[in-house]
Order: sequence, then structure tokens, then C-alpha cells
Amino acid sequence: MKNDIILDFQHVTKKFPGVVALDDVTLQVERGEIHGLCGENGAGKSTLMKILSGVHPFGTYEGSILYEGKELKLENRAIRRASEAGIAIVYQELTLVSSMTVGENVYLGKEPRENGFINWNKLYSDTQKVLNKYNLDVEPQAIVGNLGVGKQQMVEIAKALAVDANVLILDEPTSALTEAEINQLMEIIRSLKAHGVTCIYISHKLEEFFRIADCMTILRDGKVVDTLPTKELSHEQLVKMMVGREMHKRFPPSKRKPGKVIMEVEDLHAQDPNDPNRTVLNGVTFDLRRGEILGIAGLMGSGRTELAMTLFGEYGKITQGHIFLDGEEIQPHSASAAIQKGLSLVPEDRKGYGLILIQSVRRNISLPNLSQFSSFMRIDRLAELRATMQQSKSLDIKAPSLEVPVNTLSGGNQQKVVISKWLMSKPKVLIMDDPCRGIDVGAKFEIYKLMTELAEKGVSIIMTSSELEEVLGMCDRVLVMYEGRSNGLLDISEASQERIMALATGIAESEPAK
Amino acid sequence: MNLPNELVQQFRRNIQTYSIIIALIVIWGFFGVLSEGAYLQPQNFSNLFRQMTVTSFLAIGMVLVIVTGNIDLSVGKAAGFISVMVAHHQYRVWHALIPDQPLLAAALSVVLGIGLGILWGIIQGYIISYQGIPAFIVTLGGLFVMRGAILLRTEGKTIPANQPFFKTIAQGYIDPKYSWIIAGVVILFLIFNMFRSRRKKREYGFEQSSFAMDLSMTFFFSLLVALYVYIVNKYQGFQIPVLLLAIAAVILAYVSNNSRFGRYAYAIGGNREAARLSGINIRKSVFQVFVLMGFLTGIAGIVLASYVGYGTIAAGEGYELDAIAAAILGGTSPLGGEGTIFGALVGALIMSSLTNGLQIMNVAPGWQQLVKGLVLVLAVFADARLKRNR
Repeated sequence: MKNDIILDFQHVTKKFPGVVALDDVTLQVERGEIHGLCGENGAGKSTLMKILSGVHPFGTYEGSILYEGKELKLENRAIRRASEAGIAIVYQELTLVSSMTVGENVYLGKEPRENGFINWNKLYSDTQKVLNKYNLDVEPQAIVGNLGVGKQQMVEIAKALAVDANVLILDEPTSALTEAEINQLMEIIRSLKAHGVTCIYISHKLEEFFRIADCMTILRDGKVVDTLPTKELSHEQLVKMMVGREMHKRFPPSKRKPGKVIMEVEDLHAQDPNDPNRTVLNGVTFDLRRGEILGIAGLMGSGRTELAMTLFGEYGKITQGHIFLDGEEIQPHSASAAIQKGLSLVPEDRKGYGLILIQSVRRNISLPNLSQFSSFMRIDRLAELRATMQQSKSLDIKAPSLEVPVNTLSGGNQQKVVISKWLMSKPKVLIMDDPCRGIDVGAKFEIYKLMTELAEKGVSIIMTSSELEEVLGMCDRVLVMYEGRSNGLLDISEASQERIMALATGIAESEPAK
Repeated sequence: MNLPNELVQQFRRNIQTYSIIIALIVIWGFFGVLSEGAYLQPQNFSNLFRQMTVTSFLAIGMVLVIVTGNIDLSVGKAAGFISVMVAHHQYRVWHALIPDQPLLAAALSVVLGIGLGILWGIIQGYIISYQGIPAFIVTLGGLFVMRGAILLRTEGKTIPANQPFFKTIAQGYIDPKYSWIIAGVVILFLIFNMFRSRRKKREYGFEQSSFAMDLSMTFFFSLLVALYVYIVNKYQGFQIPVLLLAIAAVILAYVSNNSRFGRYAYAIGGNREAARLSGINIRKSVFQVFVLMGFLTGIAGIVLASYVGYGTIAAGEGYELDAIAAAILGGTSPLGGEGTIFGALVGALIMSSLTNGLQIMNVAPGWQQLVKGLVLVLAVFADARLKRNR
């Protein structure tokens, strides 16, 4: 059945220190098809595409890739070589220069020149040609920053196609798009197919595969589960193939008993503070009990992080709904107010938001808590040192001393510094946004243990996570987010990976609250 | 751990600070030899420190401004304007209103100068932090505004500011006898502080450095203080502006390390987002830093007027660049988050040592500027190398 193979991955294995990201991956992509690639976070989709686009050059992986029947060896200046060979990639995050025009972006780094200077007329007319060919409705002279995300995505595609791509990789192109924009994108992808472009399509939204993919490859833990025509698959089968693995004993046992309700969120709506047209939360309702760990599951772009930040008062502009803490309504509008009320946030990106990397462990931990040991003018440094020392001992932070800058610590220890920082303020509710992202298994277990201990002491924890196993292993209840709204609040006893996936992809609707 | 080991460790930890001190000593030695000793004569040594004071008041404030990730380009001309205003009021206003009261006139001059400085800090700080206009733009505009204000106020003329009391601020000396008393008090304080900090650490149960180590550090600093006073006493005594600068610098260094205000400034420069999520009011902190900068600009203006004895059209020209250069030489990161008050002082001292040395050698002013520029870039280059090799 498979006759005209354009891409042929043969036994590709890619190892990172301590992790096998791809394990003997063999798969074929047919010319002119739309090939869906799906799997959980960390299944290896992005790594595979990074090899294909030259981010991981030839020699850093084992196995081989046949492209148009010949072995593809992307060595020095590999990214450029990949694009010269006709392999283009559209990344999940937009990579455009927002102050430049559409045309400038499309030809960035490959501007047509005449006598050494840029030929602007040719640049803009060529841009127009590319845009016309694929029915992309954008003005070549428009400034990219003034366009909506959907249009920017089109510019990104035009940029990829301007080099006569044979293979176009789309890495979660819809994660920031609205429904209408997604429909438009689907049309564009179909027209690409009509022009003979082969597409590799990665997404977390399963229904998209059923709309456009001819054929699907499911990855799990770096291995290929199967490659099948989409017609032969059902939603349920797909979900099972994605998540179907045994749970190991990776989580600490706990005898905690959640108490009475401490926090209630009712029908919360919020918008992007920088863009009033963009709704980030679209009806979130849940309650949180004392000493409970509540998981927030959902796909990328479903509003997990936005919910965490909005509760902490630092992101979304609340347009509707209520938040009650200890029976009293609160209106979070700044981090300092939230801290005073007893909320703390361990942010998602610890390097970007959680730590001051050049400063010492001591200074990082004490930063939000300086008022505990200072008067108007003076910080009692010894009291500060004693408090941070206690905190770091109780969390077992492994650092040569409290005075070393945090950027010298490992990821797990850095995360412990962030957690220490927030525990010192003795929060009632600790919001943890994907607390175990990017740290190794051993450190994960320590953080899980710490969370369990905190919950046993009566701290309520809201934990967002991109890993379903983590949610199932750690939480008492799971709130599932879908497109900015809560789509189900499951007790752990009734939750399963399949059930959560179904709610998170919008296949199942939440049942009315019990 | 034995003493030499501890000393080596101490040196390693603060290698950046020690390396610029070594650079300073090299510069002194260099000019000392070239000028056949004239450079290191007590009189020149005393002047050297006096010459750095105006820039230094600006530089220690500039450290905190740069640490928060901002810049203030207006400080030179603002200090110049304040010096002109002070001179103007002394010569034209108070002279008529309160004749024959030089002490009161001097006091009013100080109040006026500081008041204007704070006001300037409030205006710039408000626009920068609460209106969100980049500091570079606001203070660049401020530079032109102040330059214009000086021309308007002086009408192109030079205004004297040399009343006896006022003159003392930048030109006075403390009698050698009292200078020794000051030195004695400082040394006693160093010793007292050493014992106090050891006792506190013991109470809290912390590991502490050996007694020999603490004692030798205290002895070393006491020796420096005594040596300094010994040399300046050989000329006319402790220079009053240097004493004022030392007091301001000690207070500011303490505040930058030991107050919430100081910590927040460093946190904002280190990672603005992390600081924001830690509940720090960024606008307020940045505003406060600019008000403090304004206060120090006011003092710099007063000292400038007293030092020169006139308010002139050229007052403060280019001082902002000297202040920035001193801060950078002293290890302040132009990206924010790092920098020390002490470093900026040494940086300012290096700058004034170079100027003074080249003047003594009768080097043309053009070459003086050129050398200063090269030294600045060279120092940062060496520092970057040092960091990479560590």
C-alpha cells in the first residue's frame, strides 16, 4: 500500500543525559499525505521533529533517515541545510519579529538582493506570490505585531513555504488559535496538500487529527506504538494507545484526610490583561478543601497556567465570577495582596519567574519574606540566615552553602529553593504550576513527598500538571480544563487517564455537578 | 582551617573587589614613579580624594539606579543646576534678605540644594516608574532641560558662591587633632562591631570564622583608616567633603545590603518577573531609587558649588558619564542586579587618580580623556575574562 515514501526513519534512537527520548523509532511518511504524530508530553514527538529539522544534527543520534530515498545527513549548519533540502518547520511558539512587516519576516535571512542591496519590490512581490498560491489572507506590508495570532500563524507558514518546502512540520500550530482560526488553518493545510506538500502534523487536540490527518503515528515513551490510517481509528483507541502504560510506584503513600472547604471558585471568567479580546478563562468552578491536593489537568493552551496566575492575582483580568477564601470573598489584584491573604504560587517557569539566578540561595528564599525579620530600615541578617537555614534543612536542599548563587544548583534543588521561598510565608493555599517539569525522577519523588507532608499538615495544594500520571498519583481530586473552562471535577477514585483525556480533549462533556 | 587558607578564601570570594583595588594601587605606583614622588605627596594625595567627591556622590546613587536596570543621564547637569541655584540665592537673594548671617545662608543653601534634588528625583522617578516611560529617554530629556535651566538662571554669567561658611563644605579641613579623634572612634567601632557580630553569631549557633581571621581583618581596616588620617594630617587634616562622602557611602552601603528597600532594588534588577511574583511593588521601589538619586544629586550640587566657589554655565558638564563610568569600573553590571557602593567609590577614585596623575605629568587634556576611555573598556574586558576563567 505504501509506495511513494518521502521520509523513512530507520531505527532512530536519541539519548539525553539520563533519558532515552527516542527508542528505536522506525516510521514512514508517504509523499503528499498529512501525517499526524501524537503522544503525551515527553513521548518524543518534538525530539523526532528536531532531528528532522536539524536542531539535533547528524551524529547526535543513532539510526538513519532516508529522505527522497537518500540518507539525510544534516551536519554543520544543520538547520540551514534542512531548510535548503526542503524541510520546513512551524514551531509551536511563534518565531516572528513583531516590529517587521510580513514580507520582511517571510524573507528574513534570505532577502532577495540586487547589487548588494535588498530589492524591496521583489521581496514584496515574491511574498504576495507565496501568499496567493496558498490562499493566505495577509497583507505583505502589514506589521506582524499588529496582526492577530491566527494571521501570525499564517505568516509563519508562508515563511516556511517561501523556501519551496517539500515537507512541512507543524508543531502544535493550533495551541493559541481560536475555533474560527483553526478552521481556517485546516483549509490552508488541505490546500498545501493539493499543492503536493507533505505535512507532519503534531497536536494535542485529538479531534484535529480526525479532521485532516490521512494517517497517524502514535508515540509513547520514545517508542512507536503503531502507524495506522486515521479511518481505522476511533477516539477511544487513540487515547488508549497514547496513555496505555502501567503505573509504577512513583508516588509516596499518604494517609491524609482532606477537611472542610477552604477555597471556592465560582464561574470565573478572565481576559488577557494586554489584549481585552482574548479570553483566557471562560467559566471555572471548583472548591478546595483543607489539606487537599487538587490537580488541574488539561492540554497545553487549556488555561491551566492562566488559572494559577489569575488566582494569584498576577495575570488575568477577572471579568466575572467569585473567589472565596475562608468564606470571605477575595479579589486578587497583586501578588503582595495574595501573599497576605495566605496564597502562594510556585510558578511554572522557575528560571523566568521563580528565581533570581545570580543571587544566593539565602536571598532568594528570604525575598518575599523579608518583612518577617526586618523593621523599617534594617534587616536582621542573622535572623534571616537562621530562618533560611532551617527552611533549607527541612527541605534538604543540596548546596555547598546558602551563599552560592542558585544558578549553580541542579534543577531539583532550584525547585526546592522556590518551594522554600513560598513555604516560609506559611501559606494556607499553595498553588504549584507544573512543579516537576524538567527535573529528574529522584528529585521528583522528593518533591512529591514534600507535597504530601504539607497536605498532611493542613496546607491545601493546587497543582497543575502536564503529566496525567502525576495527577493520578498525587491528587485527591482532579479538575479538568478544556478551552479555558472547567470541564469536570473528578474524584480520584473515578478518574482514569482515558477519562481525563476525554474531558481534556473535549470529547466528553462534564456531567452536572453532584 | 588555618589563617592563610581563610585569607585566600576571602580573597577568592571577593576577587572582583580586590582586583580593582590592586588596579588602583598599580596606578598610584605608576604615577608615583613617573612623577618622582610628587604624585604621592600628602598635598596631592589629599587633593586627589577631594577631587573625586562630587562625582562619587553621583556614582553611589547611580549604582542603585543601574542595579534596578535603569539609568540616569541627567545627574551631571542637574547637580550643575543645583550648584547654580545655590550660588544665585547666596549672591542675589539671601545677601539682600539676611545680610551678615553667613551661617544661616549656608544652612539655607543646603536645604535648598537637597530640596531641589529630591524634587528632581520625584519628577523623573514618577514619569519613569508610574508612567512607564523608559529611564533612558526621560533622563536624556532631563539632561537637556537642566542644561537649558542653567543658561536661563545664569544668563550666561558666572555667579560667586564663596561665603565663608558655605566654602567650608568642600574646601574645609578638620583640624589634625580632631581628625585623629575621628580615626580613633572609627577604629573603636570596628573592634566593637567585630566582637558584637561574633557574639551574635554564637547566640544563633552559626559557624564563624576564626578569631585570628576576624582580628586580622579588623586590624587591616583599622590600619588603613590610621594610615589615611596620618597622610592627610600631614597636609591640612581630614577633608570635610571626603568625610561627608564617607558617611553617605557607609549609610548607603548598609541600606543596600540590610534593608528591604536595597534588597528589592537588587531583586528587580536580577529578575523583574520573579521580583513581581514575590509580591514586590516594582513601581514604588524604582520611584524610591530615583528619589534617592535626586537627594544625592542635591548634595553633589551643593558640594560642587562650594568646591568651585562659583555657579557657572559649564557646571556639571559630563559628570553623569563620569558617574556611570565609576559605577561600571566598580563592578556594577550594566544589565542590572549587580553592583556595590564600595566598588563605585574605588571606581571613582581610579578615575580621579588617572586625571590627577596625567595632569601632574602635563599630559594634554585630549590624551587624558583618551586614557580614561581605554582604561574603562580594558577594565571591563579584564573582568569578563576573569569571570570566564573562574
